[in-house]
Amino acid sequence: MPLKHVVAVWLRMKAIVHRRRLDRDLDDELAFHLAMRAQQQGGDPAAHAAARRQFGNLARIRETCRALWTFAILETLWQDLRYGVRTLAKTRAFSLVAILSLALGIGVNAALFSLADAMLLRALPVRNPQQLVEFVRAGDGSLCTNLPRPVFQRFRQDRDLLSDVFAIDESTLALGAGGVTEPATAHVVSGSFFPALGVQPLIGRTIGPNDDLAGAAHQVAVLSYPFWSRRFGRDPSILGATVRLSGEPVTVIGIMPPQFFGLDRGRVPDLWIPLAAEREAGDLWVLGRLRPGISIARARLQLSPLFHQALEDELQSSSRGWDRKAFLSSRLLVNRATQGTSGVRWDYWDYSNTLKILIGLTALVLLIACANLANLLMARSAARSREIGIRLAVGAGRWRLVRQLMTESLLLSLTGGALGLLAAGWGHRLVLGFLVDEPSGVALDFQLDYRLLAFCLALSVATGLLFGLMPALRATRAETSGVIYQAGRQRGAWNMPVAKGLLAFQIGLSMMLLIGAGLFARSLRNLAAADLGFAREDLTMMDVGAAGKTPQARRRFWKELTGRVARLPGVRSVALAGDAVFGNGGWNQTVWIERPGQPAQKADVSDNLVSPGFFATTGIPVLSGREFSEQDRENAPLVALVNQTFARRFFANENPLGRRFGSDGPASGDRYQIAGVVGDAKYGSVRERPRAMVFYPMWQEPARTGMVLHLRTAGPPAAVNAAIQRQIEALDGDAMIGAIRTLPQVLHGELREDRMFATLAGFFALLALALGAIGIYGIVAYRVERRTAEIGIRVALGAQKGAVLWLIMREMLMLLVAGSAIGVPGALLVARLVKSQLFGLDPWDPLTIVSATTVLFAAGVLAGFVPASRAASLQPTQALRSD
Amino acid sequence: MGAPDKPGDLVQGTLDMLVLKTLARGAMHGYGIAEFIQATSDNVLRVEEGALYPALHRLELRGLLASEWGASENNRRAKYYRLTAAGRKQLAAESEHWGRMTSAIALIMETA
Repeated sequence: MPLKHVVAVWLRMKAIVHRRRLDRDLDDELAFHLAMRAQQQGGDPAAHAAARRQFGNLARIRETCRALWTFAILETLWQDLRYGVRTLAKTRAFSLVAILSLALGIGVNAALFSLADAMLLRALPVRNPQQLVEFVRAGDGSLCTNLPRPVFQRFRQDRDLLSDVFAIDESTLALGAGGVTEPATAHVVSGSFFPALGVQPLIGRTIGPNDDLAGAAHQVAVLSYPFWSRRFGRDPSILGATVRLSGEPVTVIGIMPPQFFGLDRGRVPDLWIPLAAEREAGDLWVLGRLRPGISIARARLQLSPLFHQALEDELQSSSRGWDRKAFLSSRLLVNRATQGTSGVRWDYWDYSNTLKILIGLTALVLLIACANLANLLMARSAARSREIGIRLAVGAGRWRLVRQLMTESLLLSLTGGALGLLAAGWGHRLVLGFLVDEPSGVALDFQLDYRLLAFCLALSVATGLLFGLMPALRATRAETSGVIYQAGRQRGAWNMPVAKGLLAFQIGLSMMLLIGAGLFARSLRNLAAADLGFAREDLTMMDVGAAGKTPQARRRFWKELTGRVARLPGVRSVALAGDAVFGNGGWNQTVWIERPGQPAQKADVSDNLVSPGFFATTGIPVLSGREFSEQDRENAPLVALVNQTFARRFFANENPLGRRFGSDGPASGDRYQIAGVVGDAKYGSVRERPRAMVFYPMWQEPARTGMVLHLRTAGPPAAVNAAIQRQIEALDGDAMIGAIRTLPQVLHGELREDRMFATLAGFFALLALALGAIGIYGIVAYRVERRTAEIGIRVALGAQKGAVLWLIMREMLMLLVAGSAIGVPGALLVARLVKSQLFGLDPWDPLTIVSATTVLFAAGVLAGFVPASRAASLQPTQALRSD
Repeated sequence: MGAPDKPGDLVQGTLDMLVLKTLARGAMHGYGIAEFIQATSDNVLRVEEGALYPALHRLELRGLLASEWGASENNRRAKYYRLTAAGRKQLAAESEHWGRMTSAIALIMETA
């Protein structure tokens, strides 16, 4: 009956509040009984004594009654807590090591969880985010969220499955306001974007369907909150003002609130503009909102025919060189987009091991901290075995004692967890700083939420149980009789085989971390020193956007620009390229190589468009033939340069010079003649395999809007940047200067993740080493103390210092060997998982394993040597007197 | 909840029932209850005093008894217990159960 329980709880609550009164009432009630009984039996002192005897154990009955009235567990818990705090306060060094190592162990895990939570688990701050889906094209073994435009046009006609369909394109534009022109990232969105998401602007209005019409009277833009703050200092008067976007006047109609970041946490755009305003029609991200009750599977099934019609449309209307068969055989996937179409998610979880490796590392750290603490606790309970023995002897229940020891462990782990939660607060920012270029461009909501709290609490409790339970069980098993008589330390509760096993396990885990750290560090070094195929020193790249409307105007701009920059002092050479020499990697493309007497051979290559002087500037060697010159211009015979891999792969032993290929189908009209072969280089990333590359001369094509200016400078690159910017502004006020970076900076960014792994693993390994040293020191010191008498006898009988030292150190060396026997195979097993992260070395790199073992042994021997040498210098008299 | 050492189930159950029955006559303090049971049973049943008070408190916590402090016959402060409505219902149920048990046992003893 629930009411009964309510009554009982209510009465007990009252009793807790009026605790004193409860005690007094109980005493009074029992005293009354005794007095009545004594009175009945004569009232003299003998009668009182008889009454007491008849009543039984008064104290016990009182306790029984009291226990009924109180929440016994709470009561003893409070007792245990106070006792635990006192005990821990007495052993400060132990408590400090315990709490700090736990705070670190739990903190790194919490930081990572918080990051993963913010990246992967939080829903978009829009209306009904669980209805959102994104469409993906699966084909050629790859997934693509950039879909041809007809897909959007077809899908938006659907009325049954989707309540809204919207599309987004990404573009970088030159935004001119207040006399300054800078690049701004724009999300070019369909008119249905804002209405479908159901988000409200901070001020002004959002883009609606009427703004997204081909002939819209005014061009409009909506600013993101970070951009509004950064660029306009949150000036509200920007609303309704006109700015220049790539030379066109555009009216700012609204500002979005800070919590709205679009659909991708990893890329917060500066502004949103309507799709109709876009000049170059590229592919689109297409998303939709499922009608209530429509499943993903059904949407996929029923939209697939529309999708294939759209692909047919694309093939008919597009001049892109789609591989017809492969293109038509691609399938439609429908993914939930509740958390957005997160590039962050793709980059760090779905298609990479980054977060998983991090989770493995941090879990290892926590496990090491646990093993270490279990060991320290066992050592401590050995020191406390006398206290525990006496308490057992006077009748304390074993479970009661276990509960009390566990209270201490949980006190430690919860304190550590609370500190860890605090540490997680800056920890996740640290990790994020490692992961991305611009943390401010990533909209991660790190607010403390119930998930993180629950995670920390669960982790703390689990940790406390993990390291505390076994020592508690072992400690309370001590046989009472022995302990009291035998001065505590003789019958230690520190069971040596178990303690040694634990320490060996801990050493093994530390070994794994050390090996991991070594692998990551060596891999990072290999990456940083890798031969890129071009000269990396003093190479600067600068994105520039020409404002000219016609190819002729742009060509004049580019010619003039390179001419002026080349004459600047400090500039050794200058060149233009469609893609940066390193970092983008060029576009994938298919070419058909002419073969005498045979059909053309299909070749998958990457390409780049470069100006004369590109190879001299970047330092890519021209191995045979010639570099491009000013003569390679429109109406001159089409030429191209290929790299070594191209030559080797498609011409084997033949001379590629003079051979020709087409780029527009097997029977394409335009044929490029190979004018030279250049050295292989890394184009996209340090890790990439050698790939076939084609370079075209930029003056043989209509001049493009955006190019990358490559500069080789005589001195520090920063010195000439300002001069170049002035030249560009003088040449054309609407021209845009984008990102400026040196090659070392690009490389630095590229190796960010590797640096993170090396740094974190190194830090964790140091931590593990320190904890391991503490553990070894503890166990050896304890052994020395236990064997003091034995050592004294040995010394008295003539044992040399060295022999005693060896006696103690031998035990420890065996521990280290046992630890390595666990750690090395463990590391070998796990190393396979990080293989993809390693560069230029095997996961089974012998040098790393040997160094890790050496470092570990050195640390272990050092930690063990201190107490062992103390043992060796014992005076026999002193040792024997110590009982 | 902490488990106080329990007397055998039969004893405990019987004691509870006897306490309830005794209090059906009116409010009474612990000593009075013990004395009444002993006297009424012609000194056959002697209440284990050590078990009486935990039993009273348990019944109170179960809501079967209520208590209040009052002055005893010799003007001392004493804790008086009385039946609650739930206690009366419980007493009726236990009496009925007890009646069936005893007659069943009696039946077996007579037959055999």
